[in-house]
Amino acid sequence: MDSKISLRQIGIWLVCLALSLGSSQFALGQEGVFLKDEEAPKAVFPEADSFERKVVRSNEEIKAKIQQRMGKTKTSLWEDSYVTFVAKKGETILGYAAIVEEIGKHRPITFIVGVGPDRKIKDAALMVYREAYGGEVRDRRFLQQYKGKQLKDPLLPYRDIQNISGATMSVEAIGRGSKKALALLEVVYFEGTERK
Amino acid sequence: MVLKKIFWTTSITTVRGKKEKQMKTIIVILASLLILPAVCSAQEGDLAAEVRELRAKLERLEKKMTDEEAQKMKRAEAERAALTEQVKKDVMTDVAAKSQSYFGKLVEQTKVGAYGSMRYGTSSLDDLHNTFTFRRLVLTVDSPIAERLKANLELEFERFTELEVEKRLFSSRGVGLQQAVEGTNHSEISLEQAWMQYDIADWLKFRAGALLVPLGRFNINHDDNRWDLPRRSLIDRGVPVLPSTAAWPELGAGFLGDFSAGTTGKVSYQWYVMNGVALDAELEQISQTRAGDTTKFAQEVELRPSRGTFADDIKSGKALATRWAYSPWLGDEIGVSLYWGRYTPDFLPSRPVFSLALDGKKTWGPFEIEGQYVHTRWSGVKDVALPFARKAINSETEAEIGDVETEVEFELANLATSKQGYWVDFRYRFWPEFLGNTLLGKHFANPQLIATLRLEQVWFNQLIKEMAFSSTSLTQFEKENRLLNRVTMGLTYRPVPLVALQLAYEYTRTNRGKSLSSVTNFLTSSKDREYFQHAVLMGLAFGF
Repeated sequence: MDSKISLRQIGIWLVCLALSLGSSQFALGQEGVFLKDEEAPKAVFPEADSFERKVVRSNEEIKAKIQQRMGKTKTSLWEDSYVTFVAKKGETILGYAAIVEEIGKHRPITFIVGVGPDRKIKDAALMVYREAYGGEVRDRRFLQQYKGKQLKDPLLPYRDIQNISGATMSVEAIGRGSKKALALLEVVYFEGTERK
Repeated sequence: MVLKKIFWTTSITTVRGKKEKQMKTIIVILASLLILPAVCSAQEGDLAAEVRELRAKLERLEKKMTDEEAQKMKRAEAERAALTEQVKKDVMTDVAAKSQSYFGKLVEQTKVGAYGSMRYGTSSLDDLHNTFTFRRLVLTVDSPIAERLKANLELEFERFTELEVEKRLFSSRGVGLQQAVEGTNHSEISLEQAWMQYDIADWLKFRAGALLVPLGRFNINHDDNRWDLPRRSLIDRGVPVLPSTAAWPELGAGFLGDFSAGTTGKVSYQWYVMNGVALDAELEQISQTRAGDTTKFAQEVELRPSRGTFADDIKSGKALATRWAYSPWLGDEIGVSLYWGRYTPDFLPSRPVFSLALDGKKTWGPFEIEGQYVHTRWSGVKDVALPFARKAINSETEAEIGDVETEVEFELANLATSKQGYWVDFRYRFWPEFLGNTLLGKHFANPQLIATLRLEQVWFNQLIKEMAFSSTSLTQFEKENRLLNRVTMGLTYRPVPLVALQLAYEYTRTNRGKSLSSVTNFLTSSKDREYFQHAVLMGLAFGF
């Protein structure tokens, strides 16, 4: 091998780069914003035709109720307020969704959790991932593990969730956040004043 | 008119002859005549005063208006100046806020972390002591510089305590330089990673800088706290079979990315061009007093495969490294990787080193199998040894002056025609419920115990055993085939994912009657009968 090969390789890179820059289908890997607030509920309730948005202000009473329902699981972050949605198809309520945040290793992960009327997770979707590593938690094949999970489940790696090697902190964060969303929706919609 | 009227009135009164009336009239007229000029005069005086007053008033008004106008203009000017100042201030504040928000955001988003490990080890080898070792502390920094652009850095302090250099230039009947280097044994500071990455798309990211060579799965996932045994594998670190020891970075650039393959599958790749491994010199100095013999001062120059330079490359060819991995579903992965590049410096003939690695991981619930196989072929080892002998002339030169013997030695080290080996880990994760209420469990959300069995083997094909040359000719060139085996059993407690407390037993063995130190870089054994080792290790690995 000699330096001519290197020049040829550099040429190949440049062609690859030019081709990729010409592509319109860009998507970010690892950290990035994947869903905006308004797009998020559709990601977990694609069949819904309308969403009723409600911001729930957090207070000590709500925190206490959420924590009580989360049991031993401790959240890493208490939000000031929660954006929640009621997903409807016509007049039928398909379920509820909440946007929550949890710290991964160093930074918060923002995601939405959709919960059906049976109080089980219908789906979850990553909205913002800020960590340098562990972006695989965004993959559908990882998030689909949460479907059907409920408050009583551990939602922990090596217990009922398949871990991602090198991203265990992020996997645990998604589990904590999912529990927080389940507890919040229970407090606000299933038991609380917003009961439909 | 007034006088005319008075005259006319006097005439009428005389005609009528009414004396009294006339007198009254006369008195009135006289009085009027006396008073009227005074009245007229007073009226004229008032008018003038009034005019003066009005004029003064007018003047005052004019002055006031002028003053007010001046004040108004002054005020307007001041307001204009204040407004200009405010705008200036606002602009400055805005700029400051914007720059503060950029740098503030950058600083806020830049995260400093670390990982490292220490261990206590015992060994059955005579030359190894029971000791605590601070294996390494690696500082990590990652920063999202802008959207799609990020930087990463890892700086390693291996067994590092201190490094101190003292220098003094002095003059005393001539010029002299005194230098003292004080450092701790086996200490090393090393840049493990320093790169920038541009995320063009999920499937195409451009990365350049000091990159981890994607050969096998260990080198790219080498953080101590990720592993459950306190010692790194033989093929990656202890021998190694990789062209250089892990963690192995090289300076270069290339692409990486991943894309979906089916509903649950994923393919990921890394592809880089880099300086690559080269035979580089290591200098060893020995000063030794010997009972009944001369004092020895020796310099040993060893040419051995080392990670590529971060300065001017000593060879013209660059190396290629690529790894492709397929994960059919979460938890399972199989990977294949290649490394190919010239390893000889420009003063020796061009010869390549080629490595092939296969690796994978399979998960069944709490049970995991993970492993890696590497085969490395160093082309033309003898073809390299001959020109090296010609260039270096003599492998050993010695001279004795008085009571001091000086020796300079050149040798080729750590080269074999080929090396191959593997490690395979069998892991089982569990947590007995009764530990949940003990100190080990009650403060943690998901503590784990991990039982691990690691099997390792390395085969050396035509490993250089002895090499000597004199007057540019190779006088001795002996090679041998060797085998190295190791079995490790370990139990690890993880209170949280980033911390591991490890306990392990190792049994290492090479060919009977051969020294372990000639096939490993961490076992010291001066006796040939020490061809095996029993060791117990207790380790702590952490990350934050």
